[in-house]
Amino acid sequence: MRLRTPFALLGAALLVLVGPPLLSPGSDSDSGTRIPGLRFMVPNTPGGGYDITARTAAKNAEEAGLTGDVEVFNLPGAGGTVGLTRLVGERGNGRLAMSMGLGVVGAVHTNQTPRTLADTTPIARLTEEQDIVVVGKDSQYKTIQDLLTAWKKSPGKLPVGGGSSPGGPDHLAPMLMAQAAGIAPKDVNYVPFDGGGELLASILGDKVAFGVSGVGEYLDQIKAGQLRLLAVTGPKRVPGLDAPTLREAGLDTEFTNWRGIVAPPGLSDAEREKLVTLVTELHDSPQWRESLKTHGWNDAFLPGEEFGTFLAEQDRRVGSVLKELGL
Amino acid sequence: MDSLNSLIDGFGTALTPMNLLWAAIGVLLGTAIGVLPGIGPAMAVALLLPVTYGLEPTGAFIMFAGIYYGAMFGGSTTSILLNTPGESAAVVAAIEGNPMAKAGRGAQALAAAAIGHFAGGMIGTILLVVLAPTVAALAVDIGAPDYLALMVLAFIAVTSVLGSSRIRGLASLLIGLTIGLVGLDQMTGQQRLTFGSLQLADGVDVVIVAVGLFAIGEALWVAAHLRRTAGEAIPVGRPWLGRDDVKRTWKSWLRGPVIGFPFGAIPAGGAEIPTFLSYVTEKRLSKHKEQFGKGAIEGVAGPESAASASAAGTLVSMLTLGLPTTAVAAVMLAAFQQYGIQPGPLLFEREPDLVWGLIASLFVGMVLLLALNLPLAPVWAKLLRIPRPYLYAGILFFAAVGAYAVGGEALDLVILLVIGLIGLGMRRYGLPVLPAVIGVILGPAAEQQLRRALQISDGSVTGLVDTPFSVTVYAVVVILLAWPLLRKVIIRRGGTR
Amino acid sequence: MSPKTWLRERSELGFGALLFLLGVLVLTDALTLDADLTGRGPVGPATVPLVVGCGLVVVAVLLSLDVLRGGRGEAEAGEDVDLSEPADWRTVLLLAGVFLAFAVLIGPVGFPVAGALLFWGSAYALGSRHLHRDPLIAATLSLLTYVVFDKLLGVPLPGGPLMGVI
Repeated sequence: MRLRTPFALLGAALLVLVGPPLLSPGSDSDSGTRIPGLRFMVPNTPGGGYDITARTAAKNAEEAGLTGDVEVFNLPGAGGTVGLTRLVGERGNGRLAMSMGLGVVGAVHTNQTPRTLADTTPIARLTEEQDIVVVGKDSQYKTIQDLLTAWKKSPGKLPVGGGSSPGGPDHLAPMLMAQAAGIAPKDVNYVPFDGGGELLASILGDKVAFGVSGVGEYLDQIKAGQLRLLAVTGPKRVPGLDAPTLREAGLDTEFTNWRGIVAPPGLSDAEREKLVTLVTELHDSPQWRESLKTHGWNDAFLPGEEFGTFLAEQDRRVGSVLKELGL
Repeated sequence: MDSLNSLIDGFGTALTPMNLLWAAIGVLLGTAIGVLPGIGPAMAVALLLPVTYGLEPTGAFIMFAGIYYGAMFGGSTTSILLNTPGESAAVVAAIEGNPMAKAGRGAQALAAAAIGHFAGGMIGTILLVVLAPTVAALAVDIGAPDYLALMVLAFIAVTSVLGSSRIRGLASLLIGLTIGLVGLDQMTGQQRLTFGSLQLADGVDVVIVAVGLFAIGEALWVAAHLRRTAGEAIPVGRPWLGRDDVKRTWKSWLRGPVIGFPFGAIPAGGAEIPTFLSYVTEKRLSKHKEQFGKGAIEGVAGPESAASASAAGTLVSMLTLGLPTTAVAAVMLAAFQQYGIQPGPLLFEREPDLVWGLIASLFVGMVLLLALNLPLAPVWAKLLRIPRPYLYAGILFFAAVGAYAVGGEALDLVILLVIGLIGLGMRRYGLPVLPAVIGVILGPAAEQQLRRALQISDGSVTGLVDTPFSVTVYAVVVILLAWPLLRKVIIRRGGTR
Repeated sequence: MSPKTWLRERSELGFGALLFLLGVLVLTDALTLDADLTGRGPVGPATVPLVVGCGLVVVAVLLSLDVLRGGRGEAEAGEDVDLSEPADWRTVLLLAGVFLAFAVLIGPVGFPVAGALLFWGSAYALGSRHLHRDPLIAATLSLLTYVVFDKLLGVPLPGGPLMGVI
């Protein structure tokens, strides 16, 4: 028997319209911390920092039975501002969250995007990480003092390598250091690299005078003696690492990179409360504690409103540094 | 000798039935997903990360190695058959592979690619075992001025692919360079040619450019001139490589790794530039130059072998230095960290079983890949027998899926269409497509290295030539440029004597 | 020779004009860039765009001269290409339209519907006239792709207006 055209068309239309919803698993119950159809956006590429945070958080939340399947997806671009713009556009969507961090704050400034983090609903800060100042093992700079003396003398001759583009964390840290050391940020010779890999090679090969990066990235190279750690940038020394803080070295500044979660604007109180509760319970779960340990992340949990205040304060600080640079 | 013993132990790990099974599953999954549009090896490894959560580390990494190599090969398959490369390393394979497929030699093209992958991967992995510490030490000495010198050399090589009309070839190259300019300036973060659109801030992905120029451009061009006469199906031809095919390609398979491996090992090397350099080398050395652009088998074999060897080179710097030189390596690094393992200088001492098991499983994975794909090549090639309207509709469909799946942005589809229309115009007026793709790859890389070199030297131009490596490369460039002149002088002398 | 055929034979001049415009665009964009604040050395953010822009303008002029002197770009031949027939721009426009419709529709109607329309529309434009077979093939292919990406691989594609309703 031959199919007739109207039937074929009808069949085709049914297939594509009704198929997808029928293939989706029955929606998850909407009770407790469970948010059915929750999606988690990552504003940078797979393998990047926000990506690992988001995927780990989603996996831990599922394992701890806090929620059903969480769909993690990447929307990379322009230092995270493409994702931010999409998030702000999803006004009132209580089933979407985005992992982000200090880098996004800087990118909003350098890209002059109309949508900023003030437009989002802050959910929580999760982790923080100090930056480190490192040189290759054959470098002539033995201590942070050696380095600072030479740097103050001729900032242009001492290229600083960092794994982020201007406005990112590895760029902000040396700029704050320079400010505290009395060097005009404009005189700092900052060389951006694509992520930590190329940067590591150029520090090892002494192509740059020193490098600035997250503490977790080069632990092994430091332990193996290929890199010499001169200082950590946070308020306190890092246990297990033999290096002074910037304050101890006489620079009145500190810098800590952090990561957190924000949601779209325009949520009802109940929706916002639900996301905050979910993340709070995730933070209390043994699975998340275990993940913090394996990844070497520092717990820096700060939920809801307080995170919002923190975001605004970070935004001001980043803005003032970048303004001085003319970015 | 030490490493040989460790490797034998590694084979002991890799050849247990369970690990063999993981390797086989990895290769199969990798190939299946690599064939899908828009999903390159990095994405494939990232997507399959959860599959390995339940495994112990050794099994998981053995599976990863399989996925990685499988996905690379899968990417070449669509590149050859449908002219839609799934990842940047497979772009060059489309140039000769697709004309071969259209002429009914798809099975041979796929076989040449499969064996190329095998040869490149094998040689690359052997080099990894023998040279890893040495290469790693050398790799960190390569700096911005050296990269720039290599890019200049690559630009000289572009002249050999400009085609019959130099001016049209140059126009094509400039179109590519213009597309390469789009996005944030790497050094100062300023937007160039983005017209205020954030989606354009990271530039146009080279895969989008290649799919647009190759697949969409071709589909539109064919639509304009579709042969309306009885559409005879594409002949399938013999399924295997003939003796003269092998004769033409065995040297290409061996030459590929020489170019691919070192590029993979250096931090900013990647796979695009070595595949392109390999293509140009094969064209120069081939006895069948007239076939290039119309389906020369060497143009598939060499670049594929180079791509695979460059993947092995990537592992050198990742395992010994903890240096992720490509997106795939970055994802694998993340995977290592899932297990609380930090790749880097101490990895070989701390986890010898895992590392040598992984290296041994690379060999195993490559054998499995070849065993799987050689018999499948003729089956894949039959794909082209479906009627023309479905074939080209399918190409458009899958190109669109690939472009959309990456970021879920409708704008990417519009960009793809615009580049497709450029491709159509280029075909109409005889502009070769290859220089444009090379412009997109080389332009941004060369600019970045040039400016980085100047930044490091604090603005002094001498910073561009202050390494022995760069000086050597520039000397080669000068000789290459002066060669036609020199030859004339030599011949004239010979004549007057 | 009428002016019309003169122009038709030299339509490549239009391509030269496009290249020229592109060059001007690149040059104006480069000139709007801020002076380099943090970089060093003679090469700033505008240097390379200026070189490329000038290159485009020069090549556009040379190409036009070549066309006026009688040079012609050789249209690309191929297995499926029949150059003896005049170009069928209607099909090209139809295909481009279908593709653009896909880009516009994928958000509101979801991937399976938009994808099916893309495949079916393209096949129709390319001359397939199996009115009952084509829609079914298109729908099946689109739904299968949706399932593989969205369900099996976790690459999200929009499901359509009925998601969550049924």
